[in-house]
Amino acid sequence: MIQETQIRINGEKHSFRPGETILDVAGRAGVEIPTLCHDPRLKPAGACRTCLVEVEGQRKLLPACATPATTDMAVVSESERVDRHRKTLLALYATDHPSNREASERGAPDELLDMIENYRAPTDWGAMASVRANRHDDRNPYIHFEPDTCILCARCTRYCDEVEAVSAITLAGRGSETTISTVDGLSLLDTSCEMCGGCIDVCPTGAMGEKMPLTRGDKPERELEKVRSTCNFCGVGCQVDLNVDREADDGAGRIVKVTSPPTGTTTNDGNLCVKGRFAYDFVHHPDRLKVPLVRGADGEFYETSWEDALQKAAAGLQGVSERHGKNGLGFVSSSRCTVEENYLVQKLSRAVFGTNNVHQCAAT
Amino acid sequence: MTNSIGEIRDADVLFVIGSNTSEAHPIIAMEMKRAVKRGATLIVADPRAVWMTTIAEKHLQLKPGTDVWLLNAMAHVIIEEGLTDDAFIAENTEGFDAVRERVKSYTPEEAEKVTGIAADDIRFAARKYATTEKAGIYYTLGITEHTHGTDNVYALANLVLMTGHLGKPSSGMNPLRGQNNVQGANDAGATPVFYPGYQHVTDPEAQAKYEAAWGVELSPEPGLDLNVMMKEVGKSIFGLFVMGEDILLSEPNVKKLEEGMNRCEFLVLQDAFMNETARFADVIFPASVFAEKEGVFTNSERRVQRIRKAVEPPGQARADWEILTSLANACGADWSYSGADEIYDEIAKHAPSFAGISHARIDSEVHRGKTGIQWPCPTPEHPGTVYLHENGVMRGKGLFSAVDYRPSNELPDEEYGLFLSTGRTLYHYNCATQTRRESGLDEKQPENFIEIHPRDAKKRGISTDDRVEVSTRRGAVEVRAIVSRQVRPGCTWMPLHFAESRANLLTNDAGDAVTNTAEYKVCAAEVKRIAAKDSETPRFPGTYYSVTGPN
Ligand code: SF4
Ligand code: SF4
Ligand code: FES
Repeated sequence: MIQETQIRINGEKHSFRPGETILDVAGRAGVEIPTLCHDPRLKPAGACRTCLVEVEGQRKLLPACATPATTDMAVVSESERVDRHRKTLLALYATDHPSNREASERGAPDELLDMIENYRAPTDWGAMASVRANRHDDRNPYIHFEPDTCILCARCTRYCDEVEAVSAITLAGRGSETTISTVDGLSLLDTSCEMCGGCIDVCPTGAMGEKMPLTRGDKPERELEKVRSTCNFCGVGCQVDLNVDREADDGAGRIVKVTSPPTGTTTNDGNLCVKGRFAYDFVHHPDRLKVPLVRGADGEFYETSWEDALQKAAAGLQGVSERHGKNGLGFVSSSRCTVEENYLVQKLSRAVFGTNNVHQCAAT
Repeated sequence: MTNSIGEIRDADVLFVIGSNTSEAHPIIAMEMKRAVKRGATLIVADPRAVWMTTIAEKHLQLKPGTDVWLLNAMAHVIIEEGLTDDAFIAENTEGFDAVRERVKSYTPEEAEKVTGIAADDIRFAARKYATTEKAGIYYTLGITEHTHGTDNVYALANLVLMTGHLGKPSSGMNPLRGQNNVQGANDAGATPVFYPGYQHVTDPEAQAKYEAAWGVELSPEPGLDLNVMMKEVGKSIFGLFVMGEDILLSEPNVKKLEEGMNRCEFLVLQDAFMNETARFADVIFPASVFAEKEGVFTNSERRVQRIRKAVEPPGQARADWEILTSLANACGADWSYSGADEIYDEIAKHAPSFAGISHARIDSEVHRGKTGIQWPCPTPEHPGTVYLHENGVMRGKGLFSAVDYRPSNELPDEEYGLFLSTGRTLYHYNCATQTRRESGLDEKQPENFIEIHPRDAKKRGISTDDRVEVSTRRGAVEVRAIVSRQVRPGCTWMPLHFAESRANLLTNDAGDAVTNTAEYKVCAAEVKRIAAKDSETPRFPGTYYSVTGPN
C-alpha cells in the first residue's frame, strides 16, 4: 500500500510517497531548486550545498536533495535568506572557476556558470589559482579532465562506483589540491574503466568532457543541434542525442558527439555504454561506399550510375530466377537495418521474386 | 522479453544464463547492478567467469553445452521439494506431468557429474528461484547457439511455468537480443516462415490477405532459413541479395560457404562499407547508416523506437529503403513510398500487433518522458504492452515440453582436446565493420585473442601474449593467447569480431534441430604455440582479460 502524505512547499500542499526527498517532491511540483552534486541515479551526497532551503522549525537551512519529506513539513525554497545563501555560495564557487565560457565549456555546457548568472551572484570576490593535478597526458582516446572547472562535487566518482560499479576514478589529494584521479594516476586505459562516459554525462560543469571534439576543434555543445535517435548497436535500444554541426561538410552535417537524454526520460535512464557514446566515427569514415559499383568483365569493380547499377542488379537476379526457379534466389536482410527496410526486403523476396527464402542475418 | 528493462531494478532474484551481460548489454547490466546493490540475489550460469560473476551470489560454472542438465536438475529440486505453483500450473499450463516424469532422473548429484556444478549450488539456485516472487530469467546467445538451443529454451520455460513466474512485474523469461533490431527484423517478416507480425506463410488466410494487399500471387511454401540457405549456396541457391551484413564474416564454417560462393551466379550487396562478402559481389549499392535515415528499431523489450536523419549520406549513397524501392521498380514492381513513415503504415495496416503504432504517434509522445511504444499495440488508443502474458498465458495455455540432455554436436577428443566457444566483447560489435573503424576501441582491443586456462596453457607451453594457432576440423587461425582463469580448464574462448583471423573459420555449422541456429558456442579445437610474445608491453591494456581471474 502506498501511503499518501502531504508536505507544504512555498505555502502549497503536495503529496509525497515515503522515501521521497524534498527535492523529489519539488521536482514533481515544478518548483525549481538549484542543485550541483545531485543526480537521481546516485545516493544523495548533500555535499555542494546549493540546494539548501528553509524548513519551518529548523534553525539551519537544510539540503533539499538529502532531506526526506515528512508529514506536515513546511518548506520555503525562495526567501531572502535562501537567496543570500545562494549568492554567497555561488560567489565562492566563482572565485575558483573560470568565468569565460570559452575556457570552461570545452567539455559540455557549464551549469555552474548558468547558475551564477541566473542568481546574479557576485563574481568579483577575487580569484584563486587552482593547484589540482590534471591528467592531460592520459592516452585514453575519449575522456578529458579539466581540473580548473572541477568543483569536486564527486558526481563522476560516485557514478563510477554506484552505477557503472567499476570504481575506476576517485577523489585524490587533500585540501585545495583535491582532484579526480585514478589509482596511481594511471591512464584510464590501464584501469578498470569501461569507457562508458557516464562521468562526462553527470559532470555539471563540463570538467569531464569528450576528448575527440576537443582535439578536432569542433564547435562547443551549445552550438550543436541535438537529434534524438536510437543507438544502432545492441538490443537494449538506448536513446541517444546525436549532436550535429549543421554547417559542417558543406551543409551535409557532421556528428560531433553523442550525448544521452536526461535521466528519467528513457529506458537507458541517462546511461550509455562505450559503443553508444563514442563509436560514431564510422558514420563519417573515409572508407564509406559513396558510388554504386558493378563488376566488369575483367573481374574488377567499376563506378557507375544508380540507373545502371539498378538495371544490372535487376537483370542478374531475374536471370537466376529464370534459370534455377524462384527458389534459386535467397535474400539476406539485416537486423542492423530498420523495421521498414526489413519489411521491404521480405516484400521484395515474396512479392517481386515469389520466394520465401528470406531471413535476417543473426536470426536469434 | 516478457518483461521491460525498467523492471529489472526491482527484481529480487536475477537468474542470468549464457549471457555476458556487462559486455553484450552494458545498460541492462547497469540495471542488474542496481538491483544487486538494492539486495537482489544474482545467480550467473556460464562456463566463463564473466564480469557479472564478480557481483553474483553464486556462479554456476557449468561445462559448455550442459545447460539442459543444469536446468532439468533445478526442475527436479523444485518438484521434489514441493516448490511448484500448483494453482498456476492447473489454470494456465499443459503437459506438466510429462516434465515431472522426465526430470525424475535428473538428480543434482548426477547433474554435478555432468555439469561440474556442485549439487548444493544447484539446489540453492532452484530454491532461491522458486521461492522468490520477483524472480526473472535472462539469457542470450549462450543459450540458443547450440545444436540443442531450442531444448535449452524449453528447459528454461519449464522452470518459469512450474513456478508461475510469468505475467508479473520483474519476473519472467527474458531473451536479451543481440543486435539492435533483431526483434524488429523478425517482426517485419524477414524470416522464411512468417509474414510481418508472425502470420505464418502456410496459413491460407494470411496468404490471401497479403496477396490482396500486394496484388500478387504468393507462395505458401516455407523458405529456407539462413543456415540452410548458406549451405545451399552453389547447390540450389545461385543468386543472393544481401543487405547490411557480411555473411562471410558472420556465418559459421565460412570455408564451405566460400566454396559455394564460387558457384553462385549473381550476388547483389547493399552496404555502407566494403566487406568480405564483396569479393563475390556483382553489384554493390552504397547504403546509409542509422544516422542518415528515418525509421524505427524495435528493442529487446518489443519497444518500437525512432531513428531520425541527422546528417546526409556521403556521396551518392542512399537510404536503404529508397534503394530497395528503386530495385523493386527496376524489377517491374510499382512501389511508391514517399518515406519510411508510409512504409510503417503499410506494415501496421496488415499486422494487428502493430496496428496502433505509427511514426507520428511515436514522435508525438517523445516529449512526455516516454520513448517508443511496446507492441502488441492493436489500436491508436492502446498504451502498448509492458509485459507479456499478463492475466494468464497468451495464446491459450503454456505448454510444458519435456526435454532430455543431448551432447553437443562436436566434443573434444584426442586430436582436438579443448572446447572452443565464441562471443563478443564490450569493445567491438559483431562483424565490427563499424567498431573496428573506431580508433579508440581498437586501442583497447587491437587484435584477436583466445582465452585459455593456465593448466591447458602450461601443457602446451603457452604464455600470455604469445602467438598461437587455433585449429578445428574446419580451419585454423592465428591469434594471441591470454592465459586466464576466466575460462574453465579444458575450455577456450575467442571473440568473433576480427576479419583477419575469423573465428568463424573454426566454428561448427551444425544447426539446432528446430531453428537451425548454428552451434557457435561449442566445438572442439586445439591450440598450438607459434611464437613468443614480441614485446613486453601488454597487448590488451587494462582490459578485464589481462588479469588472471575475476578480481
Ligand atoms: S568512463 Fe565510466 S567507467 Fe570510466 S571512469 Fe568514467 S564513469 Fe568510470
Ligand atoms: S569532474 Fe565534474 S563531476 Fe567530477 S567532481 Fe569535478 S565537477 Fe564534479
Ligand atoms: S545538490 Fe543538494 S547538496 Fe548538492
